[in-house]
Amino acid sequence: MKRDIAGLLLLLIMPATLIIVMALVQDAPFRDYQSMKFDILLANNDQGSTARQLVDGLKNSDNFHIIDSLDGKPVTEDILKQLLQKGDYKIGVLIPAGITANMANSANIAANSISKKMGVDAMLPTGPLQGQMYVHVFFDPVSKPAFRTAISAALDKYITASCSGILLQRLSSLNKNSADTTVHNDDLTKIMQPIGVKEESLSGNTLMLHINSVQHNVPAWAIFGMFFIVIPIAGNMIREREDGSAIRMALIPNANKFVGPGKIIFYTLICSLQFILMLCVGRWVMPYLHLPQLYPGLHSWLLFPLSLCIGFAATAYGYFIGTIFKTINQALPFGSVSVVILSALGGIWVPVEILPHNMQRIALISPLHWSLKAINEVILRNGDIHSVFLPSLLLLITGISLWVISIIVDKKRPQSIQ
Amino acid sequence: MLAIEVDDLHKNYKGAWAPALDGFSFSVAQGKISGLLGPNGAGKTTTINILCGLIAPDNGTAKVFGKNCSTESIHVRNKIGVAPQQVALFGNLTAIENLRYIGRLYGLSDSVINKRSMNLLELLGLSAHADKRINAYSGGMKRRANIIASLLHEPELLILDEPTAGVDVQSRALILSFLQQYRQQGKTILYTSHLMDEAQQICDEVTIIDEGKFIINGTPGDLIRETTDCKKLEDVFLHYTGHTVRD
Repeated sequence: MKRDIAGLLLLLIMPATLIIVMALVQDAPFRDYQSMKFDILLANNDQGSTARQLVDGLKNSDNFHIIDSLDGKPVTEDILKQLLQKGDYKIGVLIPAGITANMANSANIAANSISKKMGVDAMLPTGPLQGQMYVHVFFDPVSKPAFRTAISAALDKYITASCSGILLQRLSSLNKNSADTTVHNDDLTKIMQPIGVKEESLSGNTLMLHINSVQHNVPAWAIFGMFFIVIPIAGNMIREREDGSAIRMALIPNANKFVGPGKIIFYTLICSLQFILMLCVGRWVMPYLHLPQLYPGLHSWLLFPLSLCIGFAATAYGYFIGTIFKTINQALPFGSVSVVILSALGGIWVPVEILPHNMQRIALISPLHWSLKAINEVILRNGDIHSVFLPSLLLLITGISLWVISIIVDKKRPQSIQ
Repeated sequence: MLAIEVDDLHKNYKGAWAPALDGFSFSVAQGKISGLLGPNGAGKTTTINILCGLIAPDNGTAKVFGKNCSTESIHVRNKIGVAPQQVALFGNLTAIENLRYIGRLYGLSDSVINKRSMNLLELLGLSAHADKRINAYSGGMKRRANIIASLLHEPELLILDEPTAGVDVQSRALILSFLQQYRQQGKTILYTSHLMDEAQQICDEVTIIDEGKFIINGTPGDLIRETTDCKKLEDVFLHYTGHTVRD
């Protein structure tokens, strides 16, 4: 160890890096979602005063950044659903038409009721009590259940409070004595909560049925497992250099033209097999454990080429580590810890959307992020080949780049008989 | 044509206090067993690395069967077989699996690989252990398997770096006997060793190298005769390289 200064330094540096990254990543779920700020795409189908007040209130809140127009045009219900389905935004709020009218009707009914109790015969115009109307909340299908629940609860809390305020404001303007909150009425609860929050699935989307822990966890951890192929690859490559078998390959003319690609193809296929096996466990073993069954999406065949792309990137990363590091003491700590770091950054442990903004940008460099994004496109969005093209391409480019760098480094490294 | 022609080789390693090779020249005729002898750090392994095309000299030329080892290394590697001192085999594979893998990389057909493997395994006393993993072999068996792997493509020149270091007497006798048989097929062998008795026994000629320089060359008999007060090759070696311990 005394002679392997780089190995010793890596043993110190890698855990320190791990602690910093994990602390930053894990900080998000430990914080209350309400202490964070989220982008919300908002479509307002009402345009009445109550809807305007709700929108203004949301805009002024510390928790939400409201986007109600894009390119100078108001966001419509269709655009909202399209953008969420594509994953461009994570949260959407739709204020349905009739919210203002329902609020006014509820206020008038309440005012009439209170006035009647007080012996004043106020007869404000009212219609039939409509019951609760809902502000609809939509989520990107990829959003995890805990995230949905937390955001829905925060919105519900906020909108209920806003509505109560608006209602009391209207009552005050109708009757100066309306603030007599001792008045009880069986209908008052219903009257006082004219607007609620309801989570909706994107239209025609059967995927809501498949938003569960299995759907999120199986592919995420299968990808994590695939990237751990770096340990055997790097370990074997260094061992081959140490035990002399690499020299035997170097002495055979053109052997490296076959040995390198052979290793890449073999380990890529192993990774792919591993991934498919994990999906099979999710599909056919999980139900026996009283867990939901993994739903592979409408284009499940895409999972095979995707597994090859991910496997190739993981293998090339292992090949790269096995090439650039001289000893097992250097390669194994770096390989294992870097995979954990890349997985944490890539959204395997914690959804990327709840990470701090800067961390979300850093997440884009993680091949595990592209891997997860591609798999989620297929099994959580029913995405087709077009939707997985970019992440697949990035994975292939990463794999090829790492492989080419490894070949260059290997050629520059003097190999000799000892 | 000479099997090996080395002319005025110079090689300096970065950070080294002295050159590994300092104008070293020597040659080996075809069909001979030639010993390259020298103390530790004399430049033997550097010379072998240059002959194999693994490293390039700073100056000078090395040729194998007329082909430049630096610029025509692919051609040269097809002509040579190398058994490094370190056992250059995959320990987790059996001997026969190693030979099949290596043979395929040389572009040999499976039938040729099987035929040659069985023949070589028999000659070097490993046919009963062909299906054992290399990791399970004794030191002597590993050395023999290492030599077989370097002979599979039937090279014209066999380079052996300390082929009998640390092996038992029986394995050593088998290896030396085999090398003499191989020479009788018209093949050339370049052999390095610290065992002077062994070199005296099997080498047709020896070249002594020290501090990267050519010291002397000749048949063991001539060298012993021509060097004052020397009765064996070890005396000649010590006469030319001194008694100072090298590290």
